Amino acid sequence: MSEENTKTIIETETAAPSPKKKKRIESNWITKSICLIVALALAAVAGKSFYDQRHFKETVVSAPGLTEIKYLSDYVPALKGTYGDTPIFVYDSGVEGGSVLYCGGTHPYEPATSLSAYIMMENIEVTKGKVYIMPQANYSGTTLGIMGNAYPKDFDIETEWGKATYKIGDRTSNPLDQWPDNFTYIHYPSKQSQAYNDLRNLNRCFPGRLDGTFTERVAYAIMELIRNENIDMAIDSHEASIMYPVVGVYVAHNDAMDIAMMAAMDLTSTTFDMKIEQSPGSLKGFSHREWGDYSDTLAVLMETPEPFIDRIVGPMTRDLMLTGQDLFLSFAGKKGLTYVPYELETGWPMEVRVGRHLSSAERLIYYMNMFFPEKEVQATWPGYNELVEKGCGAFLHNPEEADPELVFKV
Amino acid sequence: MTLVEAVIHYAYFVMAGIIGLFFLKGLFKREKHKGLAYDVVYAYCIIPFLLRILFIK
Ligand SMILES: [Zn+2]
Repeated sequence: MSEENTKTIIETETAAPSPKKKKRIESNWITKSICLIVALALAAVAGKSFYDQRHFKETVVSAPGLTEIKYLSDYVPALKGTYGDTPIFVYDSGVEGGSVLYCGGTHPYEPATSLSAYIMMENIEVTKGKVYIMPQANYSGTTLGIMGNAYPKDFDIETEWGKATYKIGDRTSNPLDQWPDNFTYIHYPSKQSQAYNDLRNLNRCFPGRLDGTFTERVAYAIMELIRNENIDMAIDSHEASIMYPVVGVYVAHNDAMDIAMMAAMDLTSTTFDMKIEQSPGSLKGFSHREWGDYSDTLAVLMETPEPFIDRIVGPMTRDLMLTGQDLFLSFAGKKGLTYVPYELETGWPMEVRVGRHLSSAERLIYYMNMFFPEKEVQATWPGYNELVEKGCGAFLHNPEEADPELVFKV
Repeated sequence: MTLVEAVIHYAYFVMAGIIGLFFLKGLFKREKHKGLAYDVVYAYCIIPFLLRILFIK
């Protein structure tokens, strides 16, 4: 309604004076006040949407094996009370073994990552070692959508008991938490010059530093988590546009190459196509590089296809986020311009993407156990085939009926 | 360094407020461009600065 008001004002301005008179309307304090009121009304409408995104919490019902909740502020107290603090859910079997960290939401506009973390949390069973799950690694980025790009701010997963709503965040930290952006970004400690807009990109800020920017402090806290908890394998989940070469792939630190290579071959021969790339030594700031260089962990990053973030797609709707079906992209697919197969009829649905992450993580742990028996972790959660068959909703529990001690707002 | 950064961060919020006030003054008291279209532009330009100082966007 407010937009219409603005239009009317512009129309009266252009329509009223007759061309012959050549006399411009002189505004007075009444018209000025009306303009201000309309602007404030617009600010209120837009502001409500932004405010909701900043404060919305996702709900997760943990599996009963939850033993502890840690926060990044446990490792970097300066993050306490800021939007950089985020929970890490710990599932300790009580049986001596290795430990695994699973990260979602390093880039919050890749929501299959955090959803896969939630589905893991809701259904996990650990019988040996420990599993740490951090569903929203860059929490600040979840509090800001990309509405300027016409992204919806959230999407719903249908379940038997109703809808579960999840945010579509931004790629980077919220400027409310880190602002202004410098004109240059010099990565610490490599001194490599990077794109200025990666200053707030968590996956360019590792290993981070305690006295750095907000995002560098978050990165440092994640490093401290990995070092302090002696995480044996750290998995960073992502999604990528399908016209970008690094998609449907593991990117592994040199130390984790054998494991990721075996997992990729296994998945490709049995379940779905999975590529493998070694983390280039010169790519600074990435989890697959710095986690491995600045700790003893076996670092692997994974990418699923997310057509929603491809540059050439049509309307960016909730449907597109959930189905991955887009007509424009299908023309590119037909011409072989995409780095994973693409057809309009199949798209890349959310359950396929979540399922890929869940099975990709499971296979990494399986081969870590084989290569390093002393780091063995035994954990189960639903995999690709179950997700594709039943959808994401089948693995989400009703928070109304769950044990309130296991219901969390993230 | 974090202190300097925090000072700059909040200084920018103050600057956003000042620029917002500048637009508000421009809306009601300006010497040139007295047409209604400029009123619309000045009023509209207040929005992002207002949302920033309110810690909304
Ligand atoms: Zn990503």
